[in-house]
Amino acid sequence: MLLEQLINGITLGSIYAIVALGFTLVFGVLGIINMAHGEIFMFGAFIGVIVTSVMGLPLWVAFIAAIAVTAVLGYMLERIALRPLRGKQGVSHLAPLISTIGVSILLENLSHHLFGAGNQPFRNAFAEIQIQIGSITIYLVQILIFVISVALMLALSYWLSKTKAGKALRATAENLETASLLGVNTKRTITTTVIIASVMGGIAGILVGMAFNSVNPQMGLSMGLKGLAIIILGGMGNVKGAMAGGLLLGIAETLIVAYGDSGYRDAVAFITIIFILLLRPQGLFGKNTAESGR
Amino acid sequence: MLGELLNPYHLQIVSFVLINIILGISIYITLSSGQLSLGNAGFMGIGAYTSALLTINFEVPIILGIILGALVAGIFGILIGIPALRLSGVYLAIATLGFGEVMRVIFVNWESVTQGAIGLSGVPHLGREVFKTLTAIGFDPEILGLKNNQFIYLIVVSILLLINIFIVWFFVRQNKSRVGRAFAAIKMDEKAAESMGIDITYYKVLSFTQGALLAGFAGALYAHVMAYISPADFAYHRAIEILIFSVFGGSEVIWGAIFGAAFMTIMPEALRFISEYRYMIYGAILILMMAFRPQGIIDVSLLQWFKKIIKFRKGTDHGTGIKKRH
Repeated sequence: MLLEQLINGITLGSIYAIVALGFTLVFGVLGIINMAHGEIFMFGAFIGVIVTSVMGLPLWVAFIAAIAVTAVLGYMLERIALRPLRGKQGVSHLAPLISTIGVSILLENLSHHLFGAGNQPFRNAFAEIQIQIGSITIYLVQILIFVISVALMLALSYWLSKTKAGKALRATAENLETASLLGVNTKRTITTTVIIASVMGGIAGILVGMAFNSVNPQMGLSMGLKGLAIIILGGMGNVKGAMAGGLLLGIAETLIVAYGDSGYRDAVAFITIIFILLLRPQGLFGKNTAESGR
Repeated sequence: MLGELLNPYHLQIVSFVLINIILGISIYITLSSGQLSLGNAGFMGIGAYTSALLTINFEVPIILGIILGALVAGIFGILIGIPALRLSGVYLAIATLGFGEVMRVIFVNWESVTQGAIGLSGVPHLGREVFKTLTAIGFDPEILGLKNNQFIYLIVVSILLLINIFIVWFFVRQNKSRVGRAFAAIKMDEKAAESMGIDITYYKVLSFTQGALLAGFAGALYAHVMAYISPADFAYHRAIEILIFSVFGGSEVIWGAIFGAAFMTIMPEALRFISEYRYMIYGAILILMMAFRPQGIIDVSLLQWFKKIIKFRKGTDHGTGIKKRH
């Protein structure tokens, strides 16, 4: 059923979009690709498993716990892996990339030791509740995921465009030194950005747990790589592009699974990356500038 | 006498060290022109699968298989390298990372050829094949006082050692040549290098292809030393491991990659309790290195300091206070 597949694709795509927003925020402000984002996302998912399945607490507690833990992780990422490199003389532009790769490897293997290497089930009370509209079945979880994602995107857009902190963030993204001269506390803005990006990752983690009912330490890597694909698809540092790119990838993957070879599902994202980078390095929605892709 | 000294397990580790040194050099070469490639695990996989499939299915001699494996990886390197020229820095890193993942997905899914996630077993073993040929012409390892399996591993180590010596010699020479200076110039400042008349397209593709070729070569050797390969051997973690060799040991000089590869291979074997936490330590190393010593353990000034020490020992420097510039 095409319509059902489209609904599945939109559900998956809205999660991808949130993951990609985390990437795009950090890239927009710092110009850094945060390779550890996928692992922070995975930690959020595991916190969800522990709170709901192991401790048996309601879902909203899981959200709060995941937000708290990923916020701490985001703060530590900024303090340990990003801040020491900033403003240092003679540090190659690849240094932050390598440093966040280090964080990602560290977190992935830490979760192997903390949570075990296998799949963990993610139980929630309404996993089986479904709504029948004509011949189409929609799960309540899907609606919930979609609503939470859209709400999160709207909140982020509002925060970025209307609030003072959001303006400070955009000013910092535009030019760090000028923003600093104009009285923006850039240090705090950067820390806030990394924390918000990480929290978005953590929330996405719980949503993925709800959608697929299973969580494992390897999911961070594949989700991280897909997030990268999306921000390249949507244009680096472009918030609206990340949302659109996420939905596109979600739908494309679902259709591949439904009508093609499911084994190549994971390759869709990477083949897209390679083609986009080669044909349109500024991204589908990016502005065409001389420096993009350079 | 010789028979008691050679432990097959130690020989095996030495052969891993030697293969990893080739991998370390492969990433060093691309880094030396300022490009970060995270696709070397993919190129390694191409080399390994090409050589393994050729030798298993078509009974191609191992030597030819390894050379073809390296060449196929090199051709892929050119194919990826030319379009990837439009990219630099993090974009190139991501594109090559994506390439590595695509290769892994293909190895897993192309089951009719690669046997999927189970992997290819029964790849002809380099040592055993040479041993077979030697015994066929009437050679007996007893002459050297060695048992058969000791001798087999010894063959592997000596072949790898010769290859390593050749590769290191080649790239040390290349670094001092026009090509090496062009790489260094491009790494320092691409635009300045271009305005000095260096053909950056040619040299960037050259260094990328050399890296791919070497990685494919190392992969082919790996297949014939392990006698078993699976897609997991060439996944993201391998790419990171190769990156660590260079980042930890030092990315400015070839000796850094060599030291990094040797150290990172021996450390988990020597300290068994560490090997469980191996990747966590890798992660910590990457973070700490970037924060405190982004150029790696061995850099140019350390090498010069070493040279001075050696000179001093030899007595050419009598402490007259006049220092020669090298």
